[in-house]
Amino acid sequence: MRQRVLILGGGSGGTILANSLDPRRFDVTVLSESDQHLFQPGLLYAAFQGSRARLVRDERRLLARHVHFVVDTATVVDLEQQWVETAGGERMRYDALVVGTGIRTDPGQIPGLAEIGARVGDYHSSVARARTLWEHLDGFRGGTIALGQATAICKCPPSPIEGILLADELLRRRGLREQSRLVFFTPYPRPYPAEPMNRIVEPILEARGIEVHTFFDLDRIDPEGATLTSIEGETIDCDLPIVVPPFVGAPITYVPGDTLDENGFVRTDQRTLRVLGSDTAFAIGDATSLPTSKSGVGAHLEAKVVARTLSGHQANFGGRTHCPLDLAGGRATFVAGSYDAPVVPAPPSRLKHLMKMAFARLYWLSLRGVLDPAFDVYFRLTEPPVTAPGAG
Amino acid sequence: MSTPAVQHTLVDSRGSSCPGPITDLSMAYRRSKVGDVIELWATDPGVTSDARAWSDRTGNPILSLEESDGKIVVVIEIQRR
Ligand SMILES: Cc1cc2nc3c(=O)[nH]c(=O)nc-3n(C[C@H](O)[C@H](O)[C@H](O)COP(=O)(O)OP(=O)(O)OC[C@H]3O[C@@H](n4cnc5c(N)ncnc54)[C@H](O)[C@@H]3O)c2cc1C
Repeated sequence: MRQRVLILGGGSGGTILANSLDPRRFDVTVLSESDQHLFQPGLLYAAFQGSRARLVRDERRLLARHVHFVVDTATVVDLEQQWVETAGGERMRYDALVVGTGIRTDPGQIPGLAEIGARVGDYHSSVARARTLWEHLDGFRGGTIALGQATAICKCPPSPIEGILLADELLRRRGLREQSRLVFFTPYPRPYPAEPMNRIVEPILEARGIEVHTFFDLDRIDPEGATLTSIEGETIDCDLPIVVPPFVGAPITYVPGDTLDENGFVRTDQRTLRVLGSDTAFAIGDATSLPTSKSGVGAHLEAKVVARTLSGHQANFGGRTHCPLDLAGGRATFVAGSYDAPVVPAPPSRLKHLMKMAFARLYWLSLRGVLDPAFDVYFRLTEPPVTAPGAG
Repeated sequence: MSTPAVQHTLVDSRGSSCPGPITDLSMAYRRSKVGDVIELWATDPGVTSDARAWSDRTGNPILSLEESDGKIVVVIEIQRR
């Protein structure tokens, strides 16, 4: 009999996994809240360059024909009895479960942020919000822009730095940089969270005259005057606040109750990707508690590990990350590391920027798995060298 | 109204490389209240200087910082929030 695999979430990880499973051996169902698939990295360019590229596709068309696709919201997951309940009142049974429900923005954690987000937009929530932010940047005629992440958890960790550098580039191109102050705030001790990458990033911020406020744990925003206040009482006044909101996991009740950690992420074994305490459930992508960057590349690689495990092979996740970092001006670098190889800075180049842009076109194909052989070679060639553990 | 009891929170960031431990510390700090104690376990050597700088800047003192067999334990009292 074919094994019933239920995948929660039709995002990057869930879609790749569903398309990777052999239909002769698996009866695959993807249960997803939305029938649309958003290419999230594109939000950066919609917000900071006014890009009108199409970022959303029909999820059904991205899934192989044999995959059952159900549009509904998972509300309860019982890992002991092996069923999932949905908002639509269905109870779905499975032999193997894979949670790939991602993370979502949660502005309500910061007083004033919901109002700010509704007014000026942001670039981590939706296409509509990213377009709103572009309207504000496009209409900006000088003053102070303050940009940063609200908490230490950020989907795509390079994205705050990318945002401030693209804002700087926009203002320079428009001849508005002289009459503008750019402020970057972060809860970390340095502008780029991973110290080795910071060696590349900090001098660039300095050269572009961007003011940096470290250890800034955003506590509240006065939406009227746009004053940002940290837990420590430091304040930043600005005309345009661009805040990466806090993130939370999907609002799903799990049995047993300790499946989620204190951040609302699924407790996941770092190597096997099994949900801790379960033999039949796995988690991939942003939804997990893994100590890696929340990125599409991670979700992709983790989906492949779970596909191999389900197919009866020995497979482990090595913690590999490989996030592009757009440094503006047509240059980019990559943040690459793994559990055993701390991040190594790669010199910025135009070629890396071209690769980042090319990937935007290849994304939809990558979901289908047709680029897997090329990706395998690429990741092998760019494998960061293993050094002493924790040398970052 | 009774004041909620002081909490001793253990944050286990062992095996997580930079910036994992400081991410975990920052998130625990957000959930803490004055009087709480956060005990951070880490294996990344970078945590020592990061935790000291964090303590200086946020005004929350380090009660102890010890290292043995590659395990670093930082105990911080939350005095300012
Ligand atoms: C501005 C920005 C730039 C980025 N740049 C990059 C980049 O350059 N490189 C990179 O690798 N990554 C990048 N990312 C991150 C990347 O997009 C995510 O890490 C990736 O999409 C995570 O994949 P996932 O499958 O875990 O979750 P997602 O792709 O977020 O998918 C989650 C899915 O779960 C569904 N879902 C949620 N809750 C439920 C529920 N209760 N029931 C059923 N379904 C549910 C959602 O509808 C969605 O389909 C960027 C992100 C942003 C915002």
